[in-house]
Amino acid sequence: MTEQLYKILSKENIEQFSYSLRSSGKIYAPVKTSKESHSFKHVESLKEADLGYTRTMIPPKKFFISPSETIFTFNKENEEYYEIQATDEPLVLFGVHPCDLNALNLLAKVYLESFTDKYYNERRENTTIIGISCTPDEHCFCKSTGTDYAKDGFELFLHDIGDRYLVRVGSLKGYKLLEGNSSLFTDVTEEDIELYKIAENERLGSFTKNLEMSGLQEMLDLNYDSPVWEEYGEKCLSCGSCNLVCPRCRCYDVQDHMDLNLNTGERVRKWYSCMLQEHGLVAGGHNFRATSKERLRNRINCKGSLKEDMPNCVGCGRCTTYCPAEIDYVEIIQKLRGEIQ
Amino acid sequence: MKENNPLSPMKARITEIHKMTDIEKLITLRFQDPKDEENFSYMPGQFVKLGVMGVGEAPISICTAKSDEPGLELCIRNAGRVTNAVHRQNVGDTIWVRGPYGNGFPMEEVEGKDLLLVAGGLGIAPIRGVLQYALQHRERFGEISFLYGVRCYDLMLYKDEILDYFRNGEEIGVKLYLSYEDKEDEVCYGLECEQDDRCTQGMVTKLFSLLDQRKKNSVALIGGPPIMYKFTVMELEKMGFKPEEVYMTLERRMRCGVGQCGHCIVGTGKSIKYVCKDGPVFTLWDAMNTKGMI
Repeated sequence: MTEQLYKILSKENIEQFSYSLRSSGKIYAPVKTSKESHSFKHVESLKEADLGYTRTMIPPKKFFISPSETIFTFNKENEEYYEIQATDEPLVLFGVHPCDLNALNLLAKVYLESFTDKYYNERRENTTIIGISCTPDEHCFCKSTGTDYAKDGFELFLHDIGDRYLVRVGSLKGYKLLEGNSSLFTDVTEEDIELYKIAENERLGSFTKNLEMSGLQEMLDLNYDSPVWEEYGEKCLSCGSCNLVCPRCRCYDVQDHMDLNLNTGERVRKWYSCMLQEHGLVAGGHNFRATSKERLRNRINCKGSLKEDMPNCVGCGRCTTYCPAEIDYVEIIQKLRGEIQ
Repeated sequence: MKENNPLSPMKARITEIHKMTDIEKLITLRFQDPKDEENFSYMPGQFVKLGVMGVGEAPISICTAKSDEPGLELCIRNAGRVTNAVHRQNVGDTIWVRGPYGNGFPMEEVEGKDLLLVAGGLGIAPIRGVLQYALQHRERFGEISFLYGVRCYDLMLYKDEILDYFRNGEEIGVKLYLSYEDKEDEVCYGLECEQDDRCTQGMVTKLFSLLDQRKKNSVALIGGPPIMYKFTVMELEKMGFKPEEVYMTLERRMRCGVGQCGHCIVGTGKSIKYVCKDGPVFTLWDAMNTKGMI
């Protein structure tokens, strides 16, 4: 039975397979949006997608926690509020990388652990996720964070092994997808396994960036007063870009928006950023993280902390790639560790 | 709390408003749904999110101990956008509440011990809840010493209660000590003349010199502005309090109350904590292990 959890999908058949996925929902896949940028967008056909992409600027968290969403509307005169029913249509995320899959797994822990967030819950259940393997660029360090491999959090995972994909089944929903399209998939042969080994060794050998994770938490704790924070705090623009592009960042703000009639309005949950000055500000004017140095230190410490043995950073390299001040996340930690001066 | 969404509030109506100072009001409210009223249980040190539709929500310490009396009492300082809107509400107005959140003071754990309560300014709100709890279960606790620091008489909260403890507290085993910062404050000076072994001009830490020698079996429970903790802890350490014998409630920006929104995060990679969920009450041992906590 176990061999049924691995199948081969010829690249010729992927288009056909994606047509059948339409019955599971609207398909979103990485689309090239500019010379160096990709984005998960709705596609009619996988021909519009670029499955060999490195990273999208905004991670797939946007499908589960919306950048801005109304929690409820209210009417002051009636003294009532009306919860928004999650009516999100089912969707298929095609081509999610292991780093992002791991990030989504960790997000689910936060949103479903002690207080189940119904929006998150319904969206995850409404979503079919197809993962895909990738080749690291100079900013990727997911091998260091142990997130270059996705154990779960997807329906199917496609390993690129040349002219075909080795398909891994990650859920019962995924298994049913295979069953429903059995004519498109073939059994795994010895040759396929050899091709998989070659592809994996090649992928693992192509990492150039390494973040030493051993004892990182202690190192961050001991370096609380290090001058390194000052150095990078001065460079930091406190713009919050790193938070927006981080697949693990999920700070949010809650705001009330009043309509012009001063009677009705809505309460909105929005992505927020720990790098912004108001993040630690309390009523009365005291700010627990008033300087960019303190905020940068807080962010790096948060990323370096562990949640059930999983680091809060999945090594996707987005914060470094998109930082307008060109601050390199790994470089900060290498300096703290004394690996570089 | 509503089942579906941790951010959905319960409807309440304001039944009483007492002006305590120029900037603080004591507001009593009742939940409108009898089920909410019945289910709303809490420990001193827990907090609620108090909301005005169209303005937003603010975290507010619960300042009482749960009793048979229905309703909830909150001490609100007019300090920001939301609390300003709360101050503009009238008796009969609707107000929205989520919670209670946080761990609260571990009152059962400290049973059988003497209590040293230290409060500065608005920090008296959660500490008053602790005192009420101890008095409700008087036989479970030893001697209670209560140090309260105010800027001046006009800003003293729960004046009637405080003065009653100050003058008659010993009848119920409560020794109240009072400090005031304003040297020109005539009323407080009058109190100092009344009982100079219980009242002094200066910061709350000055009151430690008036305390009897510490008995071994005691714990300290603290609430106050951020600056107060470091200095109070120094005094407590001098008295011989161990890190696990000091409890303090911390203030942070807390948007969600359920450990999701990230604003109240504190600590390093080794010790990250969410004040709203892991606290707001922490021991000194927690603080020693969590850089940036106090």
